[in-house]
Amino acid sequence: MNKRDFIAIGAVLILSAIGFLFFAFQPKGGASVKISINSDVQGTYPLNENRTINIKTDGGFNTVVIKDGSVFIKDADCPDKYCVKQGKINSGSIICLPHRMTVEITDQQQPDAVAR
Amino acid sequence: MDTYMSLTLNGNNPENSIKKAEAFIKKLDRLLSAHDKSSEIFKLNNSGRKSLSPDSLSVLKSALKYYRLTDGAFNPAMLPVTTLWGFPDKKYRVPDSSEVLKALKLAKPEEIKINGSTVKLGVIDMKLDLGGIAKGYASQKTIELLKKEKVDSALINLGGNIQTLGKKPDGSLWTVAVENPNKNSSYLGQLKISDKAVITSGGYERYFKKNGKTYHHIIDPENGYPAVSGLKSVTIISDNGIQADALSTALFVMGREKAVEFWKTSKSGFDFILYTDNGKLLISEGIENSFYSDLDYEVINE
Repeated sequence: MNKRDFIAIGAVLILSAIGFLFFAFQPKGGASVKISINSDVQGTYPLNENRTINIKTDGGFNTVVIKDGSVFIKDADCPDKYCVKQGKINSGSIICLPHRMTVEITDQQQPDAVAR
Repeated sequence: MDTYMSLTLNGNNPENSIKKAEAFIKKLDRLLSAHDKSSEIFKLNNSGRKSLSPDSLSVLKSALKYYRLTDGAFNPAMLPVTTLWGFPDKKYRVPDSSEVLKALKLAKPEEIKINGSTVKLGVIDMKLDLGGIAKGYASQKTIELLKKEKVDSALINLGGNIQTLGKKPDGSLWTVAVENPNKNSSYLGQLKISDKAVITSGGYERYFKKNGKTYHHIIDPENGYPAVSGLKSVTIISDNGIQADALSTALFVMGREKAVEFWKTSKSGFDFILYTDNGKLLISEGIENSFYSDLDYEVINE
């Protein structure tokens, strides 16, 4: 390895370090989690904030968990439990047909500020 | 101001501008606090008469202007009443009606005399609380300061009171969401704005419960009790942060019908988002094209 290679590797390392820093300080995307029942929106939540949402319908309940940028159904009392079995997603949607519930990841923007 | 503040800006010398803005906001806080013993307002409340610095005087004059404009729905002299309820020091209690009536007699801003820089509280034991307008004044004057600093893009967040200057550095509009008072739910909606203040008032922000009843912190100056107006929250969108702050409280106290009527007759260039106790969302026509919501809403026309 001659000196020129050494400099080139150094430059790549520095660039990737800068790239990492840049990435690390980026807000984690603007995606949101939209929960609907019979296509009525129940709520929209940021994908980058961990929380648990309990959805109760006439049909039963679903426990939706947003954690570390993914969404999954932790528990539900539907007969097939396909929604629970689907596991974690970070794009697309989870549908619980018996409860007519949809959990969808949308790229709706996160606001710059919240008035309260 | 007993709250957090955040400042985002883009200009020639952003660090210097941020420092100036922060120093200015802290100065206002020291002048205007009704609870800090060294503040001008605390001293005025204690002695009934005091010469005020230009900023304090200017806030007081704005407060009196909105007292008159809103026919008393915004009242900057309610401190004796809110103190009875324990809101300033968080020692909550439900006062007797006789106490409330007595304290309410002190809430007479029309008895304030201003002569040059000297202010005299014309009723013994009258006490001012400019908290209902101080944050809006701070954000408005900070935006003016930043403009002089040649800052072309800024967002100020004073404990949830938002004011923006220009657009975002990338040229797009600012996105300001409005909190849903039903905490576990998503936002009431989002506004795409530039050069606007967005200020929300609602009983949901501060309240206490006693014997199964909820008492919130926005006291109706008419009767001295938490305002029962059928509204959960009021958001005002305006070019002017002072107006947005004062009117968000005033329209909350007025209730839906009076608030809409006030908007129609005042023609003073503001817009509103009203959220009612039974979950209805009403917006004024001026923001129809900048408001986005998953909820159903009704647009009110002039």
